[in-house]
Amino acid sequence: MKIETIHGPGNAAAHVTLENNETLVAEGGAMIAMSTNVSIETTTHQKRKGGIMSGLKRLLGNESFFLNHFTANSDGAVVTVSPTLSGDLKVLKLNNDRIIVQSGSYVACEKSVEMDIGWQGFKSLFAKEGLFWLNLSGQGQVIVNSFGAIYPIDVDGEYIVDTGHIVAFDETLNFSLSKAGKSWISSILGGEGLVCRFKGKGTVWCQSHNASAFGRALGKQLKPIKR
Amino acid sequence: MEANIHGSPSFAYLDIELAPGESVIAESDAMATMSADLDVKARLNGGLFSGLCKKLLGKESLFINEFTNTRGENRRITLAQSNPGDITHMALHSKTICLQPGAYIASTSQIKLGLQWAGFVSGISREGFFRLTVSGEGSVWFGSYGGLIEKEIDGEFIVDTSHLVAYEPQLKLKLQMAGGFFSSIFSGEGLVTRVEGKGKIWLQTRSVSGLVGWLNPKLF
Repeated sequence: MKIETIHGPGNAAAHVTLENNETLVAEGGAMIAMSTNVSIETTTHQKRKGGIMSGLKRLLGNESFFLNHFTANSDGAVVTVSPTLSGDLKVLKLNNDRIIVQSGSYVACEKSVEMDIGWQGFKSLFAKEGLFWLNLSGQGQVIVNSFGAIYPIDVDGEYIVDTGHIVAFDETLNFSLSKAGKSWISSILGGEGLVCRFKGKGTVWCQSHNASAFGRALGKQLKPIKR
Repeated sequence: MEANIHGSPSFAYLDIELAPGESVIAESDAMATMSADLDVKARLNGGLFSGLCKKLLGKESLFINEFTNTRGENRRITLAQSNPGDITHMALHSKTICLQPGAYIASTSQIKLGLQWAGFVSGISREGFFRLTVSGEGSVWFGSYGGLIEKEIDGEFIVDTSHLVAYEPQLKLKLQMAGGFFSSIFSGEGLVTRVEGKGKIWLQTRSVSGLVGWLNPKLF
């Protein structure tokens, strides 16, 4: 599988070239164009059974979401995928690594990549990220998207990422919510409020811009929706 | 201090490497990521009275953040504005630049942020009664929604008010109707700014009010 990204970081898209029988798994609505020698199968992602946590996840997380499987019927099939918002795409290569992807940032991956719904705790709500995360592992390429450019930060020790700026991170890292500075007053007055403090050794991929900050800036000027 | 702008022109962001003892001042909520041991202090945007004026009348933040590297090695901070667009750097040498509301992103510690009366017409047309001025010795970064156009003015020039980002203070700005009464209302240009004098202006290729105007009829 060959993935080529174009038009980043403004309005990126990815051309994915498939060999015969190769399968690309993509989130619903990501495909913008494809060759005719591709068959599509829509599935709901099956989660693993058992455990109190997975029951809780099912309860809160609306069980399943739809994924499209694009399988090439012959060599050289092309599927072009893109996210909804303006921004960048990045291809992450897994080689028996485990990464955690903010669920809104997932676009597509190779079929060989294992996907599971992850849970980072209720801190995710305060981190202005989705409550559920995707745990990706195994072998293969993953396409993630962002609002804005994606840049990697190599963490060795501690690093601070503002809420709403996480795209994905190595499982070797852990984050907790904290204040940006030494004092809470300063953090709140300075408009930074809560930030995510990453600990450990690994890479976190961040997005340069914050979609909800842009939304807030626009929202003040939009007319109220009538109900 | 080493500063680099990446992601231009659609999603520019600012990477700053602070040497030991150096600090940078940034607009509230501009920080995207930073080293965990940087010292963060919220500061009033130039005193309480001036800060309040900036917030209420100039649509700027009441507080700004000062990030200081108190460690023995270089530390990194990444800043971005809330809207997609470009960022530009200016080295001020005792010069002053006027910034439109929302354009300011960051500056070095020797730069003074001030306020300048922008006029009643500017206030009434929702461009703010006051303008933010940056002056002193050091670096300033400001940003736009969309790309940035830098233009040298000598004489007179007309710009759409919502597309003006920054200008040099010796320029005189006058708000006026785009054409006659009829064409001002029906051409979609509305109010424009007539720039007079000799100096530089910066324009943005998109405007948030334009996007809002396009979105609003589609919301129901």
